[in-house]
Amino acid sequence: MSNNETIYSKRMKVADLLASDSSLLSILQRLDIKLGFGEATIGELCMRYGISEELFIMICNIYSFHEYHPHISRLDKNDIKSITTYLRASHRYYTTVCFPAIHEGIHTLVKDLDNVSRKLIDKFYDDYDNEIINHFKYEEEVVFPYIESLMENNRACDTQYRIGQFEENHSNINEKLNDLKNIIAKYLDEKFSSPQRFELLNDIYGVENDLRKHSLIENKLLIPLVEKLEQDHE
Amino acid sequence: MNKDSKYKVVLIEPSEIIATGIAEIINRNPEFSIMQTLSNPTYYNANTETDIIIINPAVIDYNERFDIRSYFGDTNSALVALAHSNYEENVLRQYDDCIGIYDNTARIIQKLKSAMEQNAQNPKSDINELSTRERDILTAVAKGKTNKEIADEFNISIYTVISHRRNISQKLGINSIPGLTVYAIMNKLVDMSDFG
Repeated sequence: MSNNETIYSKRMKVADLLASDSSLLSILQRLDIKLGFGEATIGELCMRYGISEELFIMICNIYSFHEYHPHISRLDKNDIKSITTYLRASHRYYTTVCFPAIHEGIHTLVKDLDNVSRKLIDKFYDDYDNEIINHFKYEEEVVFPYIESLMENNRACDTQYRIGQFEENHSNINEKLNDLKNIIAKYLDEKFSSPQRFELLNDIYGVENDLRKHSLIENKLLIPLVEKLEQDHE
Repeated sequence: MNKDSKYKVVLIEPSEIIATGIAEIINRNPEFSIMQTLSNPTYYNANTETDIIIINPAVIDYNERFDIRSYFGDTNSALVALAHSNYEENVLRQYDDCIGIYDNTARIIQKLKSAMEQNAQNPKSDINELSTRERDILTAVAKGKTNKEIADEFNISIYTVISHRRNISQKLGINSIPGLTVYAIMNKLVDMSDFG
């Protein structure tokens, strides 16, 4: 971490939070927090929206500071539910805001290409899109329900599933997006350079970075908390 | 193990706190020994017998970060980055491994070992263009051939194929097979008709 960073606190104004890192704006958006919050502090905003302020601040820290290590002992079982709610909201944000924008950008870009390149890039993106949607679906239909039943039952579930498997499954999801980024930035011919191509690339960088943070929330918050829950039950 | 048979490590890190900590961790291990701790790479003597150089990439002038091996007189030592902050892929790629300051002792030692292995079997080149052999292998990958088939076709071991593929992906920044296929077709290494 650099020396001049601010570590966020609940007394900080939301406006100052955004001024220090504008990428946190997308967190507000996916939590359905409305703009026009005036002079509200982080604590006040969380209270109004029924969000755990401890968790909210941890998520912001994970977004802003590369080497931030959350103290998960400050979270409890109830926060697990909030994390899965956040992750679902995040999936919705990707599928309704980020990916449609990228899809639109690809669509515009390939219009000018020769037949072969157009088919290739279209297919490449569609495959990626399917892959990531399936990944989200797997989390929402298998992983999160497993976690929720673990919380309700107070004892280990009958299934053989353990959260460790989730870690194994969700490693390479960013690979294709990274490839797409390099193909569009480096290898598609210069003659197809356009403001839209820049914008598309910008969108891809944005979502790539956001997905990385999304994984960090899973790896640094969700998985350790659930592992603890599994141990308590066994 | 006596001192001479230990792997010799030179540490280049301007922060005394961090340098002292890393040196302590490494010296505690019986297989490695810190020979020198330098705050600045200009003090490094290329004639020193060294197995591993650990460097904070920040101490190297920006323009020379991309050609790190020649900076150290084309050294044969394994190069390990000690990174406190984010660096571009192109910078880190030149190192055999990368230690982070949150790594524990076991992880650091493991990375030093893997860096020496990596360095021994795979001397780094600074050229970003694909070699002829790499282009041939990329073409085969794009046509959907397995590592085994490629090894047989070129009469090389599977490990060599894997090593070539790793270098290709590092150079291009493309890792997935579909991504490599797109690259190969756009660069006319293979034809759409190869896919029927």
